[in-house]
Amino acid sequence: MSRRAFTAGLVATTTVALAFLLLPLVALFLRVSPGTLFGQLGNPVATDAVLVSLKTSAIAHALVLLFGTPAAYLLATNRFRGRPLVLSLVELPLVLPPAVAGIGLLAAFGRLGLLGSTLDAFGVQVGLTQTAVVLAVAFVEMPFYLRGAVAAFEAVDTTLLDAARTLGARPARVFARVALPLALGGLGASSAVALARGLGEFGATIIFAGSLQGVTQTLPLAIYAELDRNFDAALAIGALFVLLGLALLAALRLVPLWTRSVSTSRFRSAPSVSS
Amino acid sequence: MKRAALLCVIALAVPAAALGSGPRITVLAASSLTNAFPAISSAPRYSFAGSDQLAFQIEQGAQADVFAAASPKYPEALYAKKLVYEPVVFATNRLVVIVPSKNPAHIGSVYDLKRHGVRVVLGAVGVPIGDYTRKVLAKLGLNAVLKNVVSDEPDVRSIVAKVALGEADAGFVYVTDVLSANGKVATVTIPARGQPTVKYEIAVIRSTKHLAAAQTFVREVLSRNGRGKLRLFGFGLP
Repeated sequence: MSRRAFTAGLVATTTVALAFLLLPLVALFLRVSPGTLFGQLGNPVATDAVLVSLKTSAIAHALVLLFGTPAAYLLATNRFRGRPLVLSLVELPLVLPPAVAGIGLLAAFGRLGLLGSTLDAFGVQVGLTQTAVVLAVAFVEMPFYLRGAVAAFEAVDTTLLDAARTLGARPARVFARVALPLALGGLGASSAVALARGLGEFGATIIFAGSLQGVTQTLPLAIYAELDRNFDAALAIGALFVLLGLALLAALRLVPLWTRSVSTSRFRSAPSVSS
Repeated sequence: MKRAALLCVIALAVPAAALGSGPRITVLAASSLTNAFPAISSAPRYSFAGSDQLAFQIEQGAQADVFAAASPKYPEALYAKKLVYEPVVFATNRLVVIVPSKNPAHIGSVYDLKRHGVRVVLGAVGVPIGDYTRKVLAKLGLNAVLKNVVSDEPDVRSIVAKVALGEADAGFVYVTDVLSANGKVATVTIPARGQPTVKYEIAVIRSTKHLAAAQTFVREVLSRNGRGKLRLFGFGLP
């Protein structure tokens, strides 16, 4: 095959792939007028879903950051037996369908589940409540965040951590003042990806939390509920997600620039060995 | 290469031959027909879902041959839009309340459902079972039950699942759905004066490429054998 034919082939396949990826996204905006789309976002189903999604995702995301960040630091900075196994287990939910997460959560926290009778004894029911949405979102978010956060901490130059220690900093201070700021760019990126994944969570939520407007009906569930009742509203929510995604990607492009400027300024002020 | 092609031909030919003559049609049917229809005929390919969702699929141009809905609403709407041929009523149904077999909320009558803290699941508005349920509640003066709803489900099967799993204390379904729950649920009857008229309609989809086979299937459902099977699964007959 001549070089020109090969290049032409590459361009052709790329064009098909890109068109296939972008066509549905563009179609969301072209099916009805922007005015209708914008108007549908004022629809109570959409506004309730926005509120439910924001609330549950914020709580779930806070939990993921709170527990995931120290866990990622431990996994990144310690070499122990079974570490590869732990890292693989962390990634296991990534390759499972969300429906499996849903029935797994039911089997664990459902009223007839492993912890269900214990929870029931305390008068707590998780299934079909907003708590269930939070758990479902946190469950699917956590592996995305952990994976990125472990990589972010691993990328931190260990000599800097060692230097901090030899200068007398306690482990907590090394974590908070050295490791955390240096890994911030990577942590921010994985946090954003996890948040997006959590906002889009559907399968585990509909199985474990059900769907009730204003309580458990998140944005993806609202798309599903409105599909046959009010297609325009479903389109509008879909379009909202596309815009949200674009904003997120733009933010991800900006984060590395920001951290680079922070870290370079810090190193510039630090005395270098050669001087 | 040739051999592989030959194998492919055989692989494609065998199931077609096993099915006997005629094309394999696709039947879009209400969730509540999940057990009854395959018993009437195993020949078609079935897709069971909420009638509203199926109607939406037909409007979006889904390739299918027959539509059977748990309410006249959607077949009649599609008939008006000339998307299906004239629908016929082929079965009736009644509503019933189901509770988990252990009945944790101690539901003895439909009136217990308005008690504070009882967790009820309904079909969503627009899904036939959801619309019928709201009619029942209105007829019995039980609109207070709506405050106890913890989930609006997309079809009857998911209502049965949530009650059978014990996540909900009670749900409204068709009497015919109780059979499919395999003893994991108990029933509480709804007073006759609260019962809505539940009619099932079937229609051949106009875009069908297998008109004769689709009509044959509809005739089978309406035949004595079909009616017997429907009755066996708890349906009423028109």
